[in-house]
Amino acid sequence: MQPQIKSKVRCTDGVAGEVAHVIADPIALDLSHLVVRVNGTERQVPMTAVSKTREDSVDLLCTSAQLAEFPVFAREDFLSSKEVEIPHLEEKIRVEPGQVFVPIPDLEKSVPRRRFFAGFTNLLAVLIGLPLIWPVLRFITKPMYAPFDNRWWKVGNISKIKQDNVGVQFIFKKSIKDSVLTREDDKSNWVVKATPEILKNIYTHGDLSFFDKNGNVIWVNKATVPYVAYSGKCPHLGCGYKWRSHKTRGQVFLCPCHLSIYDVTGKVLDGPAPRALDLLPIKVSASGEIEVIDIEYKAGTRQQDRIA
Amino acid sequence: MNALAQKVYDFVDERIGLKTLEAKMMNEPIKGGSRWAYVFGSVLLFIFIMQAVTGVLLMFYYIPSADHAYASTQYILNEVDYGWFILSYHFWGSSAMVVVVFAHMSQVFLWGAYKKPREMVWLVGLALFGLVMAFGFTGYLLPWDQRAYWATTVGVEIMDKTPIVGDFLARFLKGGPTPGQMTLSRFFVIHVMVLPAALMGLAGLHLFFFRSAGPAGPFRGTTEELKAKTDFFFPRQVWKDIIAMATVFLAISALALVEPVELLQEATPDPGDYHPEPEWYFLFLFQLLRWRIFSGEFGQSLAAIVLPALFMLLLAALPFIDRNPERNIFKRPIALVSWAVVMIGIVVLTISAILNREYLD
Amino acid sequence: MTTDVANVSSIKLAWALCWAAFWTGFPLKLMVAVLLLAMQVPPWEGAGMTALLIVSIPVDLWALGLTARTYFLERHGLELEGGIGLTLWWQGALIGIAFLAAAYFAGSTAVSIGKQIAASIIGGIKKIFPGFSIAEQITLELLLWSIPVAVVLGVLALVALKIYGWRIKATVKSAGHPTAAPLAERVRRWDYARVPRDPGLLLASFAGVIVLLTIVFWLFLPVTTPHPSEDYKVQVKKPVKPLKPEDMLKQTEMSLAKADAVLHSLEQEKGKEKKKATKPEQKGK
Repeated sequence: MQPQIKSKVRCTDGVAGEVAHVIADPIALDLSHLVVRVNGTERQVPMTAVSKTREDSVDLLCTSAQLAEFPVFAREDFLSSKEVEIPHLEEKIRVEPGQVFVPIPDLEKSVPRRRFFAGFTNLLAVLIGLPLIWPVLRFITKPMYAPFDNRWWKVGNISKIKQDNVGVQFIFKKSIKDSVLTREDDKSNWVVKATPEILKNIYTHGDLSFFDKNGNVIWVNKATVPYVAYSGKCPHLGCGYKWRSHKTRGQVFLCPCHLSIYDVTGKVLDGPAPRALDLLPIKVSASGEIEVIDIEYKAGTRQQDRIA
Repeated sequence: MNALAQKVYDFVDERIGLKTLEAKMMNEPIKGGSRWAYVFGSVLLFIFIMQAVTGVLLMFYYIPSADHAYASTQYILNEVDYGWFILSYHFWGSSAMVVVVFAHMSQVFLWGAYKKPREMVWLVGLALFGLVMAFGFTGYLLPWDQRAYWATTVGVEIMDKTPIVGDFLARFLKGGPTPGQMTLSRFFVIHVMVLPAALMGLAGLHLFFFRSAGPAGPFRGTTEELKAKTDFFFPRQVWKDIIAMATVFLAISALALVEPVELLQEATPDPGDYHPEPEWYFLFLFQLLRWRIFSGEFGQSLAAIVLPALFMLLLAALPFIDRNPERNIFKRPIALVSWAVVMIGIVVLTISAILNREYLD
Repeated sequence: MTTDVANVSSIKLAWALCWAAFWTGFPLKLMVAVLLLAMQVPPWEGAGMTALLIVSIPVDLWALGLTARTYFLERHGLELEGGIGLTLWWQGALIGIAFLAAAYFAGSTAVSIGKQIAASIIGGIKKIFPGFSIAEQITLELLLWSIPVAVVLGVLALVALKIYGWRIKATVKSAGHPTAAPLAERVRRWDYARVPRDPGLLLASFAGVIVLLTIVFWLFLPVTTPHPSEDYKVQVKKPVKPLKPEDMLKQTEMSLAKADAVLHSLEQEKGKEKKKATKPEQKGK
């Protein structure tokens, strides 16, 4: 018969109090003490002091006076079965969960000790991965800042251009080394043979220099060379634009995606484009072969920001 | 800063009972106190997490197709910053996992912690062991060099010898009658998706069964000794776990630095001068198959499939055969001797396989 | 419940201390080894080995002292005074060096003799059973010589441990005095001995040291593999010569002029052909 919570506790000289809690031995999984509430005080009574257990009452071997000599129940030295998981405890001891108490192990009672090991553990947990952080960052960002591709590409011959001040599309095959793959993409540029008037409006600041990552000049577009090449990507969001006849504006560069409109000098006439068309380094060989460096700029920015 | 952290903690605690949850997880009393012998399970979990992390990083650059697997692995090794270190860590981590799995199984066996009421923990643990071996086998193919390709080819051919289901199993793994792109695709998806999901599920189950039964604790000691040394899972055992994890992390890094991964030539259909060999933790089985008494179709299937399967079945049946509640290993001579024989046998066969290399030409 | 030190087996005592002290010091030595490896210095030879040995001295001193104090307090109720770590360390070092030397000589002799005997036994077996296959032969031969060698080395190890055990007992006899505290109290004492007087300071300095060592690790860890594959050719970027703008512009002008000239002549040709094409028509009319 196991004492129940709220059972009346009877000493040899009459009813003394009631069972408030039970304390279990976590290793043996049986009751070790009862906590008896007498006149508002809770006292720890070992099970050896129990003489008989009934349905709703417990008889003790001691007198009420002797009962008052048992130690007061120190709640802080115990954990309820809600706060610690002792496997199968509540099968052996039939009370409501949370009513069984188990003593905190002696070693765990020292708060400084607990705090030190907890702190050390947390510290090691944070530091354990530390040596990997830098190598991992470099590992995953390796291709993100690949160096610029400053190769010259033959796009076609100037004989293809029949008229002045019109956009002529040149498509060429660009071979790209993509980690371990080699791909061939079709890239498009627009070349204009400009008259001096138009040319002055294109090269508003004179000769145009192109730089590499370290600030060295890699090419200069002379402002008197009538051939200019524009990158085939619209500076708004990178779509491929076309040379078209507009209803009211005449012949313009028109981007079908968001209807940015540029004139032959690349200036924005209408639409959401943040800047003019991007000029590319261009050179014309003696036999009339046009070569460009296929520079790519970030789309959507006011200032040119080279990315490839 | 602390006050803010406390506020966040109280906010969550009010809603999900975080304090009680934490207490229940952390305040698991360990009979007889925390022990270094108990760290291997947590160390396995740590190694798995590291393998998952390094594995995911490798997937940033690895291309699982037969024409680019080798090149992309070489790319990682030779071009990506610290790629050699990440790949070598992943490689040696898998060996570490096998070593620690053997250590963990040995510790559980020697402590008699497979006996009642912990039979289910043991069974799920055996399944986890199988998963770890499968991880090693499937991952080995991915670099697609001679070593990878031929170790896998030989391994799958051996599995073909399984009675009844062998042919189906081999064709399923190869994705056809002969190894090729389908093999690589299947091994890749099994290695990075199927096995990790299975491992996480079974590990969760393993932990749940373990916590339900409670830790077995030491196999000897008076009640007074046990009580005096009992402490909680957190912080002492966790502290020991973490120091063991840090030590294993350093050990794997050291191996990665001493012996970084180097690929052989790209896989070709003709092995040429290369002698196929599985990973070191399969070498003992590999050597057994060379014995004359296991020659012939029946003998090979006996040594490769039947005997290992019988051994695993024996291990699975162990908690049901061995009903003696005695857990002190020094009072279980059969257990102690059989453990020693198996371990020494594996070591001797592994060394024999290495010595055998000189006789292959 | 304390056992008198004199009643404990010397071998067990020495083994308990050596095993615990080794693993206590191992993580710290491993940290040093990893740093050496990151610097491409092998820790098993030359400068690396020397560095590792030098670092091992204070680590082992600390580990031995801690282990001994814990063990004797808990198991034998003895409190150890003074620099117990140092005494145990140099005694252990001397015995260890003697053991290593003896093991090296005895071991290598045993290996060569054992291999010879094993080979002759195998030879004998092959005469009786010529069909004795190579795989079984390798395993049998291995067992035949490795077991005696293991026995020899094992005996040497036990002798070394026994001697060390005697020395430990003698040291403890003079340095240790018994404490009357019960087991629970003693366990609590050694457990609490692990907690430093100022935990915050220890944790902060530990964290600082680890962070510093990690940064050193990052500085030395090679970015590209120290064992590059012969089959793989890394893309070597050819150094680009910096261009002089004036030369560039001159070149452009020259090319352009030439191109214009070519175009002009092409147009002229076209024009002539056109005229030729239309003329005959006119004539025809």
